[in-house]
Amino acid sequence: MKRTGKGIGCMWYPIGFTVAANPSAATVKINEDGTATVLTGTVETGQGALTVLGQIAAEELGISADDVHVVSADTDTTPMDTGAIASRTTYVTGNAIQMAAEKAKEILFEVAAPLLRVKAEQLEAADRKIQVKGFPQRCLPIAEVANHAQFVMGMPAIGSASFNPPTVEMDPETGQGKPFSTYVYATQIAEVSVDDETGEVDVIRIAAAHDCGTAINPMLVEGQVQGGISMGIGFALQEEMLFDENGVQINPNLTNYIMPTSLDMPEIEVDIVENYDPTGPFGAKGVGEPTSVPTAAAILNAIFDAVGVRIYSLPATAEKILAAIKEKRAEERQALPAAE
Amino acid sequence: MDDNVKVVEAETSLEALREADEALRLPAVAEPITYPIETKVPDARQQTPAVGQRATRPDGRLHGLGQTKYIDDLSFPGMIHAKIKRAGIAHARIKSVDVSEAAKMPGVLATLVGAEIPVNSFGPSLQDQPVLASDIVYHAGDGVAAVAAVTEQLAADALEKITVEYEPMTPVFDPLEAMSDDAPKVHDPDSNIYATKVIKKGDVDKGFEDADHIFEATFRTQMVEHVPLEPHATIADWDGNGRLTLWSSLGRITMGRADVSRTLGLPYNRIRIIGTIVGGNFGGKNEITQEPILGLLSKKTGRPVKGVYSREDEFMSSTTRHPFIMEYKTGINSDGRIVARKVRLVCDGGAYCSWSETTLGKACILSAGPYNIDNLHVEAFAVYTNKTMTGAMRGFGAPQVCFAYESHMDDMAKELGIDPLEIRLLNAFEENAASPTGQVLESVVVKESLQIAAERFGWKD
Amino acid sequence: MDVTMNVNGRELTASVPPETTLLRLLREDWDLTGAKLGCDVGDCGACTVLLDGQAVNACLMLAGQADGRQITTIEGLADLDAFHPLQKTFEDLAALQCGFCGPGIILAAKYLLDTNPNPSTAEIRDGLSGNLCRCTGYTKIIEAVADTAKELAAKQDAA
Repeated sequence: MKRTGKGIGCMWYPIGFTVAANPSAATVKINEDGTATVLTGTVETGQGALTVLGQIAAEELGISADDVHVVSADTDTTPMDTGAIASRTTYVTGNAIQMAAEKAKEILFEVAAPLLRVKAEQLEAADRKIQVKGFPQRCLPIAEVANHAQFVMGMPAIGSASFNPPTVEMDPETGQGKPFSTYVYATQIAEVSVDDETGEVDVIRIAAAHDCGTAINPMLVEGQVQGGISMGIGFALQEEMLFDENGVQINPNLTNYIMPTSLDMPEIEVDIVENYDPTGPFGAKGVGEPTSVPTAAAILNAIFDAVGVRIYSLPATAEKILAAIKEKRAEERQALPAAE
Repeated sequence: MDDNVKVVEAETSLEALREADEALRLPAVAEPITYPIETKVPDARQQTPAVGQRATRPDGRLHGLGQTKYIDDLSFPGMIHAKIKRAGIAHARIKSVDVSEAAKMPGVLATLVGAEIPVNSFGPSLQDQPVLASDIVYHAGDGVAAVAAVTEQLAADALEKITVEYEPMTPVFDPLEAMSDDAPKVHDPDSNIYATKVIKKGDVDKGFEDADHIFEATFRTQMVEHVPLEPHATIADWDGNGRLTLWSSLGRITMGRADVSRTLGLPYNRIRIIGTIVGGNFGGKNEITQEPILGLLSKKTGRPVKGVYSREDEFMSSTTRHPFIMEYKTGINSDGRIVARKVRLVCDGGAYCSWSETTLGKACILSAGPYNIDNLHVEAFAVYTNKTMTGAMRGFGAPQVCFAYESHMDDMAKELGIDPLEIRLLNAFEENAASPTGQVLESVVVKESLQIAAERFGWKD
Repeated sequence: MDVTMNVNGRELTASVPPETTLLRLLREDWDLTGAKLGCDVGDCGACTVLLDGQAVNACLMLAGQADGRQITTIEGLADLDAFHPLQKTFEDLAALQCGFCGPGIILAAKYLLDTNPNPSTAEIRDGLSGNLCRCTGYTKIIEAVADTAKELAAKQDAA
């Protein structure tokens, strides 16, 4: 018989390295037609970092994502970066890029100020224009300013910057300190169906509410949540590296290492929790790892709700669940008073 | 005069040859691939402001066209292929490595053993991992020799001809066993525990005394692998100025360059690492693996050398997620408020440290959950075992401890007769809460995430 | 051994050792690197190509077995005028992340839609079950296939 259950997994997760310096440096070049090129040492591992970082630069410069080209991952030509790790790219590399873009923009402001007959501090960049704050009608197209900067004033608009999250080292005896500059929070709630005759679990749906600070690109955040959940399902129910008595792996292949396919995925509803972190680029934090953190917890709690058995070790395979169900039934039978 | 006649004759024969061949001529290479060279840009990419746009990915377009060049898709003139021989034995002393038979095989251009590597150790915190094992093997996936050959198949065949003599040593596989004083020692003769972390806050013993109820449980998690669809891949090549260029699937090229500099004894400005596009990382491609090996093979042969991990290499010889053994003891009042928690984490640290220190540190901090707990004591240990090295994998210990503290929470909720959502809302961090390390937390939205998910899910229905 | 096949509408020939797989032939001899090597033993589907219109794992097929047949690789879906509707929808929905599984999964989806133009979600999941993806959780990929099916059906009706 199939029994359904629901379970919550709630988590928090830090952004960046634990205490240790993990800087990112970046350079932003504004081309003489008002488009821009970003140089970053980060590596695109598939999560869409280059797109998000391009959006951050674009936002700072008041241009669109398509106006920005991002160049990455070459130790000869791009500035140093601690890497695509610890969910730090949007926050640390993003901050570095925002700061670098700001510096390049300031050169444009310096050049535009006399042309617009105001002080540089009165200017802002928006909608592909350099315009006066509070009186945007007085403006110049960014292309014109960039061209003027380079060819008339001899001041090409380029900026470099680096960012490292501020931390405080942890006391070696008590661990007290400020190991990270910011954290993200999330909850996933799972509904499962457990077959109490086979122990098999079907994850029916998951509602995921994730904080990532400002969502620079909500579509890509959804993708991260969905992908993270798939890894979480594998961790909860299927995946395990097995060793023989000599310490040699028995299943070092995809035939016998079971991981989620399209058939294993539940319906996923993603909510991005609205939040703004002033220490992040435009309020953003990060999302790469947190998405796979609470899934196993939610599923295992849902199994507990469905069939009343607590599985204490992962993966919660059908065999384990069935054995636990049988044990529970045996205990319940023993607890019943004997027939008169 | 004579020469000109000869030239004319030669031209005539060439013409004749060409005519005869016309009918037989077939393209030796595929014709250029066609695709629309389109500058039509989706609206979301053209809007200002840029933040918040559901912008599509330009690299995503290329992925769908099949145009993205991952490292295995790159090829250079004269390029050859490398393969690494794996130990296949969990713990042993290497008595000898004989590559002579392999070296003799036609098509095999170079071999490499650990002793040839200038500095044969690396690691993000402890440099305890050899590039190629030369003295002792610490896990079955350790590389013990490498070959470079004209084709991948030849390189793989050549590995079979390498003979390694091992003197087996006693391995230890279980982390709890490995913690005991008389366990076989992996690296350090005194202890297999190579990292410890502690968090102490308040007075956990008094907290337990004061609490209405005490709950205890032990949770365990398993070793899993990242399984990026793209296996680890690297191409190495030198130029006449002694500059090494590496195309690599590494996720951290700045550190990678430092590691290559250290292992090969090169200044940083003689090394170039190009990151290219990676087919998935998840933490498993965050330290060097075969880069120094391919660098040396390339130097020996004067050719670009490509190495791509097989799927078996991925499982046996790349980092994995730490199995955790987690003991939780929680003091909680009848109203559901947690007053004290003691956690003991034992991380199976595998054969090498890799990212274990970071994992331990994070797991420790996160292990109490996003909940206000005034009295807390967490201790964590990373232990060497003779199994595949454990390293960074999506979450650095967080998925493991979250499984533990959330399961534990529901066990307590059930016993106390409190709804799982309510008990979490009661204990959750709020803005300016104190973290386990005494940090003042800002932009905290735990309760919001609980409520939004519950609403979306229909928790109350 | 010489092999000739029709690849993306063009006759191609190569001379290869007999143990060469179709995957290696495509990637190494003809520079069609869209099909990927993920496991080389038919478990992951990253090498999926269409053989006479049917989705196959190219790593499990010998070049000789594909001799004289018609092959479609990812490089053959778009032309100078337009992306294939699947490629367009995948891009619009950001269905691919690292993209390594992309060519294989798009061809598997094409095969599904060619044989079942109006698949249910369950049928889409089933049709893609031979292709592993570690990044996306398959969710947006399934959405993209469903959307493309609707789009193609609408075009059919309009025609």
